[in-house]
Amino acid sequence: MSMNQKPTRRAFLKTSGVALAAPYVITSSALGNADRPPASDRIVVAGIGIGNMGRGDQNAFLNRKDVQYVALCDVREDFRDNSKAGVDKHYGNSDCKVYNDFRELLARTDIDAVHIATPDHWHAIMTIEACRNGKDVYCQKPETLTLREGPLMVAAARRYGRVVSGGSQRVLGDYRKMVDPAWAGEYGKIKSINVNVGPMPQLCNLPKEEMAEKIDWDLWLGPAPWAPYNSKRCSGSFSINGSSWRSFSDYSGGGMTDWGAHHFGGALFICDVMELQPEEVTYHGDQGAPYLSLRYPNGLIVYHNRPNTGNLAIEGTPNEPVPPKPVPGYKGDGIYGDFIQCVKTREKPFRDIERAANTAVVAHLGNMAYQLRRSLKWDAAKQEFPGDETANRLVDRARREPWQL
Amino acid sequence: MLNDAFAALKSYDWGTDLAPLAPIEDAVAAAHGNAEAGKELEARLLTALQGELSRDAKDYICRKLTIVGTAASATILAGLLTDENHSHMARFVLERIPAPAAAQALREALPKVSGKVKIGVIGSLGARRDAAAVSALSGLLADGDAAVARAAATALGDIGTVDAVKALQAARPSAAATMQAAIDAQLTCAEALLAENKRAEALAIYKSLASDDRSKLVRLAATRGILACAAKNA
Repeated sequence: MSMNQKPTRRAFLKTSGVALAAPYVITSSALGNADRPPASDRIVVAGIGIGNMGRGDQNAFLNRKDVQYVALCDVREDFRDNSKAGVDKHYGNSDCKVYNDFRELLARTDIDAVHIATPDHWHAIMTIEACRNGKDVYCQKPETLTLREGPLMVAAARRYGRVVSGGSQRVLGDYRKMVDPAWAGEYGKIKSINVNVGPMPQLCNLPKEEMAEKIDWDLWLGPAPWAPYNSKRCSGSFSINGSSWRSFSDYSGGGMTDWGAHHFGGALFICDVMELQPEEVTYHGDQGAPYLSLRYPNGLIVYHNRPNTGNLAIEGTPNEPVPPKPVPGYKGDGIYGDFIQCVKTREKPFRDIERAANTAVVAHLGNMAYQLRRSLKWDAAKQEFPGDETANRLVDRARREPWQL
Repeated sequence: MLNDAFAALKSYDWGTDLAPLAPIEDAVAAAHGNAEAGKELEARLLTALQGELSRDAKDYICRKLTIVGTAASATILAGLLTDENHSHMARFVLERIPAPAAAQALREALPKVSGKVKIGVIGSLGARRDAAAVSALSGLLADGDAAVARAAATALGDIGTVDAVKALQAARPSAAATMQAAIDAQLTCAEALLAENKRAEALAIYKSLASDDRSKLVRLAATRGILACAAKNA
């Protein structure tokens, strides 16, 4: 090497006598620079379910300099191919690995965290399996399909010390203008809040269609009951009018859980009961369209679709202000930054899975009350309906073989 | 109206209108608190189930029996457990109705089924926390089908009895996924024991999983459990 030539890192390793145990060529990307942390400081992320929301989540993580996006999984071939193309273009290589079966992705030991944006009926199985495999999880809302799933997801997260964040960037993003005055005490003691959201999920009875896309149908269905392929049954469209899986009870809690994750989540944040669950649901079906009132242990009432009442309408005691309290927020920039920051620090994220599950419980209790057309009492500590054998049957549902929680 | 709905079931299939079945939905709701009405509705549903109906129609009936079904349903549904086209929806009922006959039907089906169907039955026994199934499930920990063995481990974790824990601790599966399930199941059992204030039993499990031959993830989980036991003792 010429005395006038500045040695490259590769040359240095070649001539310095460093043992051959030294790694292969270290790319500048791996070494990092002023704008990008070295590879050793980047969180290795992969995605499961790269449809409408999954693409959004993927882009959010991909655009983070402290993330290295290495793999993705989807049961649709074109989703896999298109998504890989986007990741590879971003990095200027072809390193992104694709999978059809999420279990193969989760078995990789180099992945630190996964984001999950499959239909809801998969969320619990995948999140729990990810925890068992040592992965942190960002799981889209609604995080659960049944009441039994929430505690099992929380247990798996705590058991393995995993950071598990639910989705819904709207809880902190959309409702802050109400949260701030509420936590400042301007509403006084909040007695009730109303949430207008829906519709309830419906049974899917769509006819069989010829499969016009390359999709692993058995794996798309997963734990849900077998049914023939229909494009609307598995469409990821955001509508809840019978033209997407969000409409149907085998895969989703309908608008109650889908948009309820945002609106109920916002309501619970405003009223500072994110750590609690309701203890009673009263079904008001005597006159006009049925509506619900859900009572919390501290006396708060969360109404659902209360007649002549606006969304997030609050009843409080403004003439009796209460002491202000600091409003919690994200630990990073936005919900994705919050998750990644918590992956680094091992703190609980803003939408920790327990809070997320508590929000979903409200929607599940609501759906059950409407389905059974009556009031229900809920024991949050025991996670059961005391003395209500029929309601307890609906706490969970049998999963199609070979899937189990 | 209800008669018309049951008549409509005969032609119900994927793609047909759900509306004609609405009276059945009404009858299910009305059966709450009315044992006689529930029994009558169940009988009609079971009669229909044994008729010449489409798969979708039988699935629909199973969804309703999940709410109104009793021990009477267990006998009929037991026969569907071995049919791979109907086993899942039979379990839709048998996993959720509290009647002991439902658990018995699942246990009796275990030796009659294999592969995925067997895994489904195992999962439902676990979800029911059926202590009477522990012996049979313990035997399946060494099943030649690794997926069956894995399912048995998870189910034993759900059941969490002393015998379930012993079986899990004694298991030496060669398949890594089965061993992972057996360890997870032991941790699940330990958590349940600690929640019941059975601190010593929980601690014993955690200590057995904290050895150096375990993965870092498992050692950390066990250590967290040991600390939780100490906190409970404080």
